[in-house]
Amino acid sequence: MEEEEIQKAVAAYLRKKGFTNTELALQEEQNRVSFSSNSDHSVSRLENGPVRYSDGYSKLRLWAYSSLDLYKHELLRVLFPVYIHCFMDLVAGGHVHEARNFFHTFREDHESMHLRDLQKLEGILSPLHLEEIELSRSFRQNKFKIKMCEYSYDLLLQYLQKTQSFTMRGVINEHIDFEVSPGQPTSSSGDADFVTIEGRNNDLVRQINQKEIHWGVLEDSLEQHLERPVSDSEKAESANKELVLISVNSLIQKRPLDGGKQGIPVKMVKKDKLVNMVGKNVRSETSAVSVAPRVKPELTLPTTLVEVEQAILEDLRSRVQLNSLALPSISFYTFVNTCNRLNCSSISQDGSLVAGGFSDSSLKVVWDISKIGQLVKTSSLHGEKESAKNENLPATEEGKKPYTLFHGHSGPVYSATFSPFGEFLLSSSSDSTIRLWSTKLNTNLVCYKGHNYPVWDVQFSPVGHYFASSSHDRTARIWSMERIQPLRIMAGHLSDVDCVQWHANCNYIATGSSDKTVRLWDVQSGECVRIFIGHRSMILSLAMSPDGRYMASGDEDGTIMMWDLSSGRCVSPLVGHSSCVWTLAFSCEGTLLASGSADCTIKLWDVTASTRASRMESKSSSSNRLRLLKALPTKSTPVYTLQFSRRNLLFAAGALSKCS
Amino acid sequence: MSIVPKETIAVIAQSIGIANLSSDVALALAPDVEYRLREIMQEAIKCMRHSKRTVLTAEDVNSALSLRNVEPIYGFASGNPLRFKRAVGHKDLFYIDDRDVDFKEVIDAPLPKAPLDTAVVAHWLAIEGVQPAIPENAPVEAIVAPSENKKSENSKEDGLLVDLKLPVKHVLSRELQLYFDKITELTVTRPESILCKEALVSLAVDSGIHPLVPYFSYFIADEVARSLNDLPILFALMRVVRSLLQNPHIHIEPYLHQLMPSIITCVVAKRLGSKITDNHWELRDFSANLAASVCKRYGHVYHNLQSRLTKTLINAFLDPSKALTQHYGAIQGLAALGTSVVRLLVLPNLEPYLQLLHPEMQLEKQKNEMKRKEAWRVYGALLRAAGKCLYDRLKLFPGLLSPPRHPGWRINGRVATSHSNKRMSSTNLSSQQPPFKKVATDGPTGAMQPIAMTANLQGAPDGFPTRSSGTGVGQPSTSGQVPMKTTGGRQEKGGSVVPKGSAVLAQAWKEDLDAGRLLASLFQLFGEGVFSFIQPVEMSFFI
Repeated sequence: MEEEEIQKAVAAYLRKKGFTNTELALQEEQNRVSFSSNSDHSVSRLENGPVRYSDGYSKLRLWAYSSLDLYKHELLRVLFPVYIHCFMDLVAGGHVHEARNFFHTFREDHESMHLRDLQKLEGILSPLHLEEIELSRSFRQNKFKIKMCEYSYDLLLQYLQKTQSFTMRGVINEHIDFEVSPGQPTSSSGDADFVTIEGRNNDLVRQINQKEIHWGVLEDSLEQHLERPVSDSEKAESANKELVLISVNSLIQKRPLDGGKQGIPVKMVKKDKLVNMVGKNVRSETSAVSVAPRVKPELTLPTTLVEVEQAILEDLRSRVQLNSLALPSISFYTFVNTCNRLNCSSISQDGSLVAGGFSDSSLKVVWDISKIGQLVKTSSLHGEKESAKNENLPATEEGKKPYTLFHGHSGPVYSATFSPFGEFLLSSSSDSTIRLWSTKLNTNLVCYKGHNYPVWDVQFSPVGHYFASSSHDRTARIWSMERIQPLRIMAGHLSDVDCVQWHANCNYIATGSSDKTVRLWDVQSGECVRIFIGHRSMILSLAMSPDGRYMASGDEDGTIMMWDLSSGRCVSPLVGHSSCVWTLAFSCEGTLLASGSADCTIKLWDVTASTRASRMESKSSSSNRLRLLKALPTKSTPVYTLQFSRRNLLFAAGALSKCS
Repeated sequence: MSIVPKETIAVIAQSIGIANLSSDVALALAPDVEYRLREIMQEAIKCMRHSKRTVLTAEDVNSALSLRNVEPIYGFASGNPLRFKRAVGHKDLFYIDDRDVDFKEVIDAPLPKAPLDTAVVAHWLAIEGVQPAIPENAPVEAIVAPSENKKSENSKEDGLLVDLKLPVKHVLSRELQLYFDKITELTVTRPESILCKEALVSLAVDSGIHPLVPYFSYFIADEVARSLNDLPILFALMRVVRSLLQNPHIHIEPYLHQLMPSIITCVVAKRLGSKITDNHWELRDFSANLAASVCKRYGHVYHNLQSRLTKTLINAFLDPSKALTQHYGAIQGLAALGTSVVRLLVLPNLEPYLQLLHPEMQLEKQKNEMKRKEAWRVYGALLRAAGKCLYDRLKLFPGLLSPPRHPGWRINGRVATSHSNKRMSSTNLSSQQPPFKKVATDGPTGAMQPIAMTANLQGAPDGFPTRSSGTGVGQPSTSGQVPMKTTGGRQEKGGSVVPKGSAVLAQAWKEDLDAGRLLASLFQLFGEGVFSFIQPVEMSFFI
């Protein structure tokens, strides 16, 4: 009342004084104030009615679905972020019941793409939970990035303006970044690009992915040694060649390090020289020497053993060349009577040893496949000298059991890996330890404690001695056999690190995680150098091509993705498996990719076809797919492990499961 | 709101000793409980994936709990699925059926069998990309054609669609194999034993031996070809065939083509058995009946079965170069096929054939006693076949009973002396031989006397009543010897029959002259032997 009186008094005064302009201004102001208070009121009323979220969303959805086909798929992309954030807004506002209704009403739209996320979010029932779940936090803190063409963007804006839906406009403004590109909308098949990248620091990802990567193979690898005896028998000349190689290396080192450009001239130089000298360098194209000699000193390689080296060279010489026409032979090791307790298995390089990790925390190492019958051929035909050596070992319970039992872990064994030459075995368990076993002494040598949670995966480096582990504690760690503390800890994944794999040149490791990304880490610096985004569910398996250029990753849905390490982009998604891809393996020349799955098949994919195509037209990377060469079904045996021997014989292992 | 109702929270609170939980608290707790549950299940799924499984187990949940530093729930780690029971009186309240275990029982119980130990077996899943068809590989793989490589270049996953039919592997159970071995061994080694008879019964009634039929049919075909010299075995084999044919559970049609040649072999083979004393005639009769029964049963399925069979037989019958044994078999086979076959195929050829046969039967022309005997056998068979045919005709037309008498009478007139012959035959008959045997044996004697054929001229007229009253047997084959034995009672009823017979006489003539002529011609060819087939008709008429 007082205010009104004052206003009236002021107005009368102004009128009396003749300040008409001022009076008008004042009135205007008053009106605005009252309006704003009114609008405030209306907003709060709407706030109370959470219906506007579902209304707004369903209208948006209807509009998006009824838009022109050309732009439809782009507009549909907007729906998922809006949906998620509407839901989270509702929960945050305390309208749990409405949130749930809303969630279930529109859930089906997104199930095919984001099932795992939906499952996680479904449980959210109070604002507190929002804080707790990593996923929702990352949704809240980061923006989705959506690529759109100009026209679709305009369409969307027009719609939002026309319908006056403030809620939707707010949500979209707050949580979505549009990356508007001029021209035509992208093809609808480009789903891989689309996956509404949870914008976990998009810039950071971009930044990381621009880091330089030296994906070449090791310069002093045995593969190159192979050329020596093959090309010429005269030692003088080979010595000559080595000199040249050294000079090449020194040349490389002298060059100023500047990123990707420098790789090409080096390759050229080396190629020329090698072609001149040897004239038979088949893989010269791919064997661009990695310019990362800093890791080298660390690697006190066990290959110093001359006989082992000889054996490997022998293997390399008698290697079967595989390609799309010459498919490999596959020897399958079936674990029987496992009662669903087999968690993992591992096969040594030469296929003579098979290890199985069980959920009763035992580890069973089966000796000498050649002795357990049927496969005598293997040892005679493809058997490496390694196996012959193992046979002479004092097998303790040979008569009684066909395997050696390793006890030591106190929880299910989740992973096992043989060292490249088969003398060591590493196992990781849910008791958060990694154990090193000697296959010669049949005993536990070291127990590595460092992880705080179950260790999901452990992998020996291609040269042995070093190994990498990944754990539920969201880290991956690098270890060396002689130290009980990790050398590096790779932290950065937002969820469990489920699998780990070494790069061919031992300078990088790749990790796959439940946060649906694959990361590449520099072993030396411990930094993340690549983030590969594109999978839609938990990543279960990784494989690196022998030339170090490509990486394959398999996920829970059965999708396999092929990545180009240097660009960080997906070369081609491989669709074919219907269930979890447990294992992946490249053939020794990198021409074939084998994948083993829970759907009881092994599939062979042609790598060269897809990569060649991608080289020709790098733009349409998503449209070309790896060619499926062959699907080999097993007899109700999910495939747990695949391993190419150096002679390109493929070994596979799995547990026979009757109840499926 | 939450899928966990607040009542559940209250129940759980009660179970841990909080009696008076306010409903507000329960309501607030419920969403959090659901959230935690979901969280744990997410973790459990993770554990499941790392155990390389696609089925969630209680163990996974426990691992997930231990990841959260929560005490695992003990007692559910066993592989057996949990059994839930509905609580009485509640719609949706379940509890785990956890029955009390008596320690004593557990201790007393024998140790369970140790589970099989884990083992690794190796096989080739593929050899240079091609899956070998071995039992370790999935059956689909066998279907994959080797040429799949090339196809899959153009299109993916089409290789599995290639459909090749592989030879079906026939798996016999061990029991069946044993059974088969036993039976075959029995038939070959001890065909006359009681055990073998039991086996035949078993073959005729057993329902589970169908898988063995192809093996049996092969065995029979093989064994018949091999042991033509061994009469007992042949007989046993034919009995096996009969048993198989009798078995209602066997679907034998597909194997008839394999069985029939063996049967026919046993009917018309030149030599069956190695010794002279071997009674191969019996085997021929038996096999002939077998063949006929096959025709009868499966003739409608195989339209050409009977025609082929008769063709084979008639060829054997009409070929003069064939041995008499073969002729005999052929005649028996044709006779077994029925009277119409005989009437159509045998009777027209009867006269020329008998002309051929007669020299063989006579002592002066055929010195070889063996051959002569054979000839008489054939004669007997022919007689019987023709007689049966006649009998059948007569049965159709009972009134025809009289026509035989007229030729009979006529011939009677021709015959002068019959007394000696009659005596002779009666002595012969006392040796209890089958009728054709009798004919065969007394034939030669009769042949020596020109009038022997009509030996029973006087027996014919009064012979009918005799039989009907005296023996009543009614079997044409055995009745031949009866009249002589029961001479005593023949007069009493004879008188009453004859007038009746003559009463129908006129009508009979009208009804079928053909039958009359048939009988006449038969009588001309066979003589009095024919009359033995008429009596039963008389009898039926009489009754």
